[in-house]
Amino acid sequence: MFTSKLSPARGALRSTLAIGAASILVLASCSTEREGASADGATTGSEPACQNAEQAQAQYKSAWTGTAEAMGLETLEPVDEEVCEIDTSEWAAEPSQGDSYRIALAAQGPINSWGMISEEAFRMEAERQGAEVLYASANGDATEQVNNVQQLASQSPDAMVVVPMGEGITAQVAAATAQGIVVVCSGILPESSNAVSTVTRQYDLLGAAYAEWLVQELDGKGSVAMLSGLAGVPTAEYQAAAAKKVFEKYPDIKVVTQEYTQWSPTVGKTVARNLITKFPNLDGIWSDAAYADLGVVQAYREAGKKVPPMTGDSTNAFLKAVDGSDIKFALSTFPPDQSIDCLRTALQILKGEPVLNKVYIDSPSFTHEKASEYVRKDCSDDLMYTLHLTDEELAELELCK
Amino acid sequence: MTQVRELFEGSAKTLAPLSGLLAVLILAAITTPNFFSLDVLRLVSFQIGIIGITALGQTFVLLIGGIDLSIAAVMVFTTIVLASYTDGQDGRLPVAILLAIGAGLVAGALNALLVLVRNVPPFVATFASFVLIQGIIVAWTRGAPSGSIPGALSWLGQGRILGLPVPTALFLVMAVAGWMVLAQSGLGRRIYATGLNPTAAHMSGIRTGWVISGCYIAAALSGVLAGLVSAGFIGYVDAAGSRNLDLNSIAAAVIGGVALSGGRGRIGQTVLGVVLLAVLLTWLIQLGAGAGGQLVVSGSVILLAVALQNGRFRLPSPIRTFSMKESS
Repeated sequence: MFTSKLSPARGALRSTLAIGAASILVLASCSTEREGASADGATTGSEPACQNAEQAQAQYKSAWTGTAEAMGLETLEPVDEEVCEIDTSEWAAEPSQGDSYRIALAAQGPINSWGMISEEAFRMEAERQGAEVLYASANGDATEQVNNVQQLASQSPDAMVVVPMGEGITAQVAAATAQGIVVVCSGILPESSNAVSTVTRQYDLLGAAYAEWLVQELDGKGSVAMLSGLAGVPTAEYQAAAAKKVFEKYPDIKVVTQEYTQWSPTVGKTVARNLITKFPNLDGIWSDAAYADLGVVQAYREAGKKVPPMTGDSTNAFLKAVDGSDIKFALSTFPPDQSIDCLRTALQILKGEPVLNKVYIDSPSFTHEKASEYVRKDCSDDLMYTLHLTDEELAELELCK
Repeated sequence: MTQVRELFEGSAKTLAPLSGLLAVLILAAITTPNFFSLDVLRLVSFQIGIIGITALGQTFVLLIGGIDLSIAAVMVFTTIVLASYTDGQDGRLPVAILLAIGAGLVAGALNALLVLVRNVPPFVATFASFVLIQGIIVAWTRGAPSGSIPGALSWLGQGRILGLPVPTALFLVMAVAGWMVLAQSGLGRRIYATGLNPTAAHMSGIRTGWVISGCYIAAALSGVLAGLVSAGFIGYVDAAGSRNLDLNSIAAAVIGGVALSGGRGRIGQTVLGVVLLAVLLTWLIQLGAGAGGQLVVSGSVILLAVALQNGRFRLPSPIRTFSMKESS
């Protein structure tokens, strides 16, 4: 009985394998994506004339100044961005159903601690604000998020917060906006999405600041390896592109290689082992993530070599691993609870209050000298720096004791 | 004449991956002069261990005409069980390992049940298991697994035996055991027979259901062992680190010459494929090839291997000899 059906299955195996392999590759390329951005650097907005531009621009530049100060940088030029305050009166509305606003969250999904904290923080804030949450998880998959945005829009929420997994959702976001839904993006999408406001960390700032710190640490001379997350994912590629622009300014800085770590400590460690054999005298490592840095530190320690100066975002696992060591590093934070800012911005828009078209989150950056202020030994390795959550809330999420 | 032809065909088939390996080694020697340094060779041997453990499990499933896409999920699940149950305490490690083995047995049995009882194609069945296990992981941990990996496990991922990385030594022991099962035992002949023609095997008295179940369980247990090695290597629950594991395990076996259609292939070929893939991956990183270049070269090698499988040459498998002996 079994055998009679196995043969045709075996006959079809080659074609199904090809489809399956392609599916796995797609899943693999998406599974740890934290958030998306556009390929052209374009941002959101059905933007009327730029209002209150001076104040908005000053606020934008202050994030660069603050980061430069925190890392002790002599040079860090902000990239040109037009940040405006927008008149949201056309979006002002009473709750469409009942007494409370219904806010949809097209989330990344709890595929890592960043996603989990992002969603839970959003729910906590919604409860505080008396808003009802409609939720859909993309599980890190850009394709699944296309359907999620459509499904959520069909429930006619008052507003929708989207954590983009890629540009594939642009048309669906535009359709939701055309339907009259206020869309706020927690990540960068092309302008054609017509999202009302974008609330995120700025990738250019992170990539450039890490590079400038490394250059300064090396006195403008030396060989540098670049470690990025996932090839083709904007969060990784934008940071790397900004860093390369900085390195190009310094002729004595030589970028000897760029490798991808998939934001994985295991892959980071494997890559670093290769770096040690190929570039035994590497002077510095530019990295976009502490997930990979954790593996890099292990590889150098196991090889009995001094860990070169390095960069990345901040995770508690990395801070614990380097606590008390003489390793030099510069980190910046990428707070997952920026979802709270997204929700607040959406509610401000619904109330007709002015908001910025681009709200670039200004969260702490620091070097090895101040790392002890950020390490949380009483908390899980998976803890990431949060802007808004209290210790009680972190304990509720079982991230701290 | 037929015997001479089969011998020639078999030699050509076996020589194909071997010549591929030699070609990569020569290219590596030319393009990366320090490739044969002790440090780089250690990297290659470590890669052999990590890829090889799961490739051996995959080989058993491929030989019965199946495929297992859930090995990487089992591996990640193992690391989560270890971290959650032990919370870094060495004393709790034995029970945690038993729990992980139990979970692996369940995953393997589930795959076998889906394939045998529900007649679900192996690709679909094991992909469903992959999704199911991932779902359990997300529901359980919500993306932030609690606990930590016990330090006692680090030897498994970072230690050495006679200069060899422990994962490589484990792989070699498993390869010898696998060779003994496939080439030296009746069970091996039953596996080949089931993969070549399950109907005939069933009619000749082979309990194909048990054979198939055993192969899926062996593959799942290779995932458990890979999980233990991975946890020991990095000391951290790293879901992202297993992303390419399923593809690499299949690729290694296929590059070596194990047939995707079942019934043809030997452990020696898988070992050869694992070595070739490990050398290739290490060389590409040493070469400084970008992510795109690495994928293109790896994909080309796999395509070449599959093309050779589907070409004029046919690999003589032990079952043919076995059948002739039986019939005579």
